[in-house]
Amino acid sequence: MTSTTSAAITPTTGTAMAEFNRTTSRWGQITMIAGLLISVAGPLYLVFASGLDIGPAQLWIAFAAVAATFGIIWIVEPLTYFPILGPAAMYQAFMIGNISNKLLPAALIAQTNIGAKPGSKRAELAAVVAICGAAVVHLTSLAVFVGLLGSWLISVIPPSVLTVTRLYVLPTVLGAVLVQAIVSMKQPRTTVFALLVSAVVVFVVLPMVPSLAMVSTAIAVLGTILLAWFFRGKQVAAAKPIHIE
Amino acid sequence: MHQPLALQPLASNSATDILAIANNPVLWICVAGVFGVIIIQSAIFMKAARRAAPSVEMSSQDIKTSFRSGAVSAIGPSLAVSLVAIALLGLFGAPAVLSRIGLIGSAAYDVSAAGIAAGSMGAKLGDASYTQSVFAVAFFAMSIGGAMWMLATLILTPLLRKGDAKIRSVNPAAMAIVPAAALIGAFSCLGLTELPKSWIHVLSFLVSAAVMGLCLLLANKLGKSWLREWGLGFSIVIGLGAAFFAAGA
Repeated sequence: MTSTTSAAITPTTGTAMAEFNRTTSRWGQITMIAGLLISVAGPLYLVFASGLDIGPAQLWIAFAAVAATFGIIWIVEPLTYFPILGPAAMYQAFMIGNISNKLLPAALIAQTNIGAKPGSKRAELAAVVAICGAAVVHLTSLAVFVGLLGSWLISVIPPSVLTVTRLYVLPTVLGAVLVQAIVSMKQPRTTVFALLVSAVVVFVVLPMVPSLAMVSTAIAVLGTILLAWFFRGKQVAAAKPIHIE
Repeated sequence: MHQPLALQPLASNSATDILAIANNPVLWICVAGVFGVIIIQSAIFMKAARRAAPSVEMSSQDIKTSFRSGAVSAIGPSLAVSLVAIALLGLFGAPAVLSRIGLIGSAAYDVSAAGIAAGSMGAKLGDASYTQSVFAVAFFAMSIGGAMWMLATLILTPLLRKGDAKIRSVNPAAMAIVPAAALIGAFSCLGLTELPKSWIHVLSFLVSAAVMGLCLLLANKLGKSWLREWGLGFSIVIGLGAAFFAAGA
């Protein structure tokens, strides 16, 4: 993969920027691969080394079910963010996460504050530096508020509250996220199709064929895509970054 | 990372002993590893940016201003993410929440992936069927999902940098419609799947959806974008509050 990086160096780019591109590209890839491996190592340890009785088949099924739902997003999201972030910040953004609600605003504010024109080399450097600043704040607040304070909180709140949280946190997350997705996508036609297809899947198909529960979300996704595509309007909004935090 | 010993006695009280394995020391080590990788990456990128700055007429004061602007503007969103993460601690435990919801992923995708994975084992998150094995598979599904995002970034970034014509010429109508349809389709199906479970699920879902709607509306009307950042946190807390009173009633 590193062989592709030299292609980006155009004659107009100064050697200093070329060096920057080389460094961020090489180390962006190395750190991202490290982050990828470490983040998968934890659950794999649990699955295979902690004495739980889980077969590889269960993992493949779970992976397939998630891929059928979010596989398109995995590819589309990096595509839509690249023009905004630029190559160096891509490696930062997709590891730190919370791109649209935190990293993009951070980069934009920094660019404004130093008067960097969008798309310029100064703007690119400002974005990278601003994301570094955002990362420091984010890691600190996670360690303090979630790691320390959160763990303490869990240990002192009454078990009844914890039980309610565990039982009902899923519908509260999904209720809010669905509204967020509908509002931020601004595609009323698609929204109607999505709700219709999902309602049919959840309230009609599943009660009749419970064994389809495993693939219900994938069916809804596929059905919504097909309907939205075949009944698409004349004028279509421009593709924009899609991200729900 | 500190050892959350305080969690151990609590976990044994609950029907499903998730937190006992969710706080496994190896998972804490992995979280520390992810933190470490991001710190190292930031340090390398900062150094590279500092070195390249003079060539594009960027002073060291500009670097300082950029860093500080990024840090300050991240305070609000970071606290908002922390609130969401705390709400999910009881379900996934601190290591999984820190690495999945706090970093790499996000609440929406990771909670969804966990729900889908649990469903593929015929179980539901949070209730009696949520065993240690279900947690492990759900955690695996969240992590492998995040890994796919990183894999796509690793493969696509060098291609896009070269300006690969094939990728840029993807049908713009398809790029506008298909991802949005996939996203709304996924979240509406996942959301509606919660409804038949109980009337409290319906209540939590509706309250949370209403709070988010209100937050987005006010954010738009009053021009207060912090309401957008805090929307998810507020929705979860108020939705859970409603569920708590309903469960007690």
